[in-house]
Amino acid sequence: MTTTSDGVRAKAREAIRNQPYKTHTILSSLLAVQDALGFLPPEGLDEVARHRNTTVNEVWGIASFYPNFRFTAPAKHVVEVCWGPTCHVMGAQPILRGLLQRLGLHAEGDTPDGAVTLKMNTCLGVCAHAPAMSFDHRLAGHMSPQKALAGLEKLRSGDQPAHAGHDGARTASGGAR
Amino acid sequence: MPKEIKIKVNGQEIATTDDKMVIQAANDAGIYIPYLCYHPGMKPYGACRMCMVQVEMPPPPNAPAGTAPALVMQASCTVPVRDGLVVHTTNEPVQQTRDVIMDLLLSEHPHGCLTCHRIDLCGPQDICLRHVDVNDRCVTCPKNERCELKDTTRFHTQKQYSALTYQYRNLQVETKDPFFDRDYNLCIVCARCVRACDELRGDVVYGMTERAGQVLVGTALGSSLLESGCEFCGACIDVCPVGALVEKENKWERPSRVMQSVCDECPVGCQITYEVNQWEKVVRAIPELNAPANHGQACYKGKFGYSYVNHKQRIKRPMVRRDGELRQVSWEEAFAAAAEGLAKYKGNQFALIASPRNTNEELYVAQKFARVVMGTNSVDLATNDRPGVYEALADVFGVSAGMVSIDDLNAAKAVLVVSANLTEEQNVVGVPIKQAVRAGTQQLVVIDSREVELTRHATLWLRPYPGTDLAVVGGILRAIVDEGLVSKEFIDARVDGYDDFVKSLAPFTPEAVERETGLGPDRLLAAAKLLATNAPAVFAYALDNSVGGTRRPTARALANLALITGNVGKPGAGLMPLRRGANDQGALDMGAEPFLLPGQAPFNNVAALKRISRAWGAPVPDREGLRVAGAFAAARKGDVKAMLVIGDHLTFEDGTFGDTAAAFDKLEFMVALDQFLSPTAQKADVVFPAAAWLEKQGTYTNLERRVQPLRRVFKNKAVDSRADLDILCALAQRMGADGFAYGDSDDVLAELGMVAPAYAGISHRRLLAEAVKTKKPSNDNPLPTQVLYSDAVPMGLQWPCSAADHPGTPVPFGEGKFTLAVLSWRERPKHDDAQFPLMLTHGRVLLQSGHPMEVVPQGKLNSIKREEYVTLHPADAARMKFAEGQRARMVAATGKSVTGTLRLSEQVPPGVVSLTTLFGELAVELEASTHPDPMNHVPRLEAVPARMEPA
Repeated sequence: MTTTSDGVRAKAREAIRNQPYKTHTILSSLLAVQDALGFLPPEGLDEVARHRNTTVNEVWGIASFYPNFRFTAPAKHVVEVCWGPTCHVMGAQPILRGLLQRLGLHAEGDTPDGAVTLKMNTCLGVCAHAPAMSFDHRLAGHMSPQKALAGLEKLRSGDQPAHAGHDGARTASGGAR
Repeated sequence: MPKEIKIKVNGQEIATTDDKMVIQAANDAGIYIPYLCYHPGMKPYGACRMCMVQVEMPPPPNAPAGTAPALVMQASCTVPVRDGLVVHTTNEPVQQTRDVIMDLLLSEHPHGCLTCHRIDLCGPQDICLRHVDVNDRCVTCPKNERCELKDTTRFHTQKQYSALTYQYRNLQVETKDPFFDRDYNLCIVCARCVRACDELRGDVVYGMTERAGQVLVGTALGSSLLESGCEFCGACIDVCPVGALVEKENKWERPSRVMQSVCDECPVGCQITYEVNQWEKVVRAIPELNAPANHGQACYKGKFGYSYVNHKQRIKRPMVRRDGELRQVSWEEAFAAAAEGLAKYKGNQFALIASPRNTNEELYVAQKFARVVMGTNSVDLATNDRPGVYEALADVFGVSAGMVSIDDLNAAKAVLVVSANLTEEQNVVGVPIKQAVRAGTQQLVVIDSREVELTRHATLWLRPYPGTDLAVVGGILRAIVDEGLVSKEFIDARVDGYDDFVKSLAPFTPEAVERETGLGPDRLLAAAKLLATNAPAVFAYALDNSVGGTRRPTARALANLALITGNVGKPGAGLMPLRRGANDQGALDMGAEPFLLPGQAPFNNVAALKRISRAWGAPVPDREGLRVAGAFAAARKGDVKAMLVIGDHLTFEDGTFGDTAAAFDKLEFMVALDQFLSPTAQKADVVFPAAAWLEKQGTYTNLERRVQPLRRVFKNKAVDSRADLDILCALAQRMGADGFAYGDSDDVLAELGMVAPAYAGISHRRLLAEAVKTKKPSNDNPLPTQVLYSDAVPMGLQWPCSAADHPGTPVPFGEGKFTLAVLSWRERPKHDDAQFPLMLTHGRVLLQSGHPMEVVPQGKLNSIKREEYVTLHPADAARMKFAEGQRARMVAATGKSVTGTLRLSEQVPPGVVSLTTLFGELAVELEASTHPDPMNHVPRLEAVPARMEPA
């Protein structure tokens, strides 16, 4: 076992232990680990299994059900495009197409250089500001393809702090519940 | 208690009980409702929806008079019956709903053949006019004609199939794990395997992964079964309705007939249905769903270990040693040679070592052979290396026998397991325990120096220094007495010698026990409270780690524990000795033990001697005989000059009885009865090809005293074998002895009944005649494989069973008084051996979280690669100048050595080096083994002296 793996375990354990609820479920523990680590590594799944006194297979069954859990380290930045009905009507598709083209992707996912994760979100909850997006879990409304690309560039150039969602303040999909 | 009620199905009134679901009630009454995800014995799930029915819902109370009842479409596997319920299972709306459901189910499974009218006409090589892909064909599926989906399509024929297409999932078939293959291209996602693994076995090796259209059964991150904690019990295979889960061995073989018998691997006595193909080869083992001991469960040994009966290397003809070489001869010549050779030896010059796979009848004849023909009491089982385990029971209760029915284990509120690796050695006993512990209805206390599978499930795991089980149990006894937790009522009514017993607890002070075992007073008190306040309680023990001759006193202390807590003579309570061989209990009852005559009468009891010699018409020797260990020692010294050995055993090769090869070499004459020309048989002067357990009729007595019938399932035609019973009888007759002419196995039991009243009411014929008939609808109905073969299940009889109308005794010792054993303090075995100052406790578990491993394919199979961890107590490590994380080598006194990374843990008692391997490693080893009968040679885990050195 490498020290990094031990470190990941320790972090996951701490996150699971420090859940602010009386009842710890497999799901709440998974969310706590993902919030702490940004994703669910095998060690994290194992720690959840240990905590809930079950096997990693049952934990995996639950984790794999939810598309918002990820099992590989996230890219540096997360860009989400809302494609709920309102955003769709208000023009989410051109925004998405533009971003995909710029990022060289065919579908949602990570760029090969590990800089940006593009995600489609079923609803960011701000229909009044459709079409909506989020950049590193910070919401942005009334978007257009141009604004979206500008936001992406801003993000890449480092004007916004990375991983805004992982400092504990839960926003948008970073901590969907 | 369930209430008797009546429901109406399709206008027909049926009587049922209110603890059932509609599907169960209807199917039991012979009204078939198709199903694919429901399975008898598992909780309702409602995944496949094939069992849709219409249920009449009465109008609400405030509805106007005359309102017709509403018809509601429901999955009948999730609707509980209630009095007066009206159900329709075949009407038009139901049929239409099932049509749609069938369409949807078929869209998940290759169905080119299932929907073809030519399905029954095609052979595997036929050209398909409909261009059904080879992958999609039923004839190329290993489960063809045993497939519930196929049978369901036959039962529920559709006029037209929808245009829903099936796309082959193109998933890799998982073939690299031991024992069985997983082809998820065929999975219909009924979740039976997931539920069996979770609900029935408590292992949770599978989960449902992903969701919606992608949902499939799988392991975490798609890992192999070796990583996911599989115990390879095969429960998932037995419930799989399609060809997704299939045994590797004989994968494509079709059965031409089936027959039930009892497994020969361990004393649980699982009834198993064996499939035999047209070439008289046993091709599959399917545990019997309604059997009393196993309820449809088996283990890696029973499910996958049967095939040695088909093995090519079986001894084909009798052999006699001529000019130093074993030569094939006729049966006549072999009998002559054996009789001539054995006639030269009398009394304790001869010893007979029987096999735990021998039937009761054979063991009876074997001991009679030794006593009457050879004039010695030296007759013993090859596996009898721990007589203390059963002797202690006779000390306290008069007879040595388990008193707990496996059926009642689930109801026990507390279970204590002392030094037993029962999930491997008596696997199915662990099933109800794990179920109850997971359901939260049972407290499990484990006393074991090793980490074994059960410690993961334990409410409380006490890990003492090996060999100090007696001190631990003494400490618990004292805590119970000191805290006033004893069952006063029971002690007053049923127990003698309480005061003497309490006095004898004086040395077991918490301080002394802690010094000896390393367990603090709080731990002992916790165990005492769990065991004394939760009744009924079961005390199961194998005493693997009770080295240094402490097994008998430890088992006596456990008997005291059962008595003072009032756990004797009640269902779900009592002592459960866990021995290793299939018929170890039977051997005691038959008198295949030097110190016991048939019926467990002590050999020096004058009345019993007289009675039995009168029955036999021959004198019974009164000179003390030798147990198997003594026989080998005497043979090495030259005192035992001739032996008759039945079977080949792990205990011969693993050093349990010292250098057995040297003992065999020293013998002047040796006869072996065996299936294989094993290292043991190779030493013999005369070798008889013995029939395997599936080739003979007889009975086994399991660890709950249940006598169950073995049947002639098949006959290996390549082998000219005879049952040990016939060989021994023929040999005895050849040597001029009377009283060895038996017609069949029942004649032997009849004679046994005369000398052993506990067996007087038991016969093979009665066991079969009283088999419980289970409802078996016609063959057109798609039944789960396990149900398919289940029509008459022998329930067995638990002795004492004194007459042909006696129902047997599930709960013995319901009356009478028992005397508590007086305990004496035993120092733990001293290890001042400078060479091996530590004790190695070698455990084996299914899963070890936090211990990374790699699964690497080796050829066609996966194998496990991982860095071993050797764990020491920090104090020991400091003394020996070892540091955490350092590479170190453990060398055991047996010569075994393991190099690994050193870990320090307070959990390990001082003076102990702990090693934990994975069950998966054993599974890989067994799968790759070239031994014809590998399951009989699974190494045991015992505490042995060891030392540490830097690597």
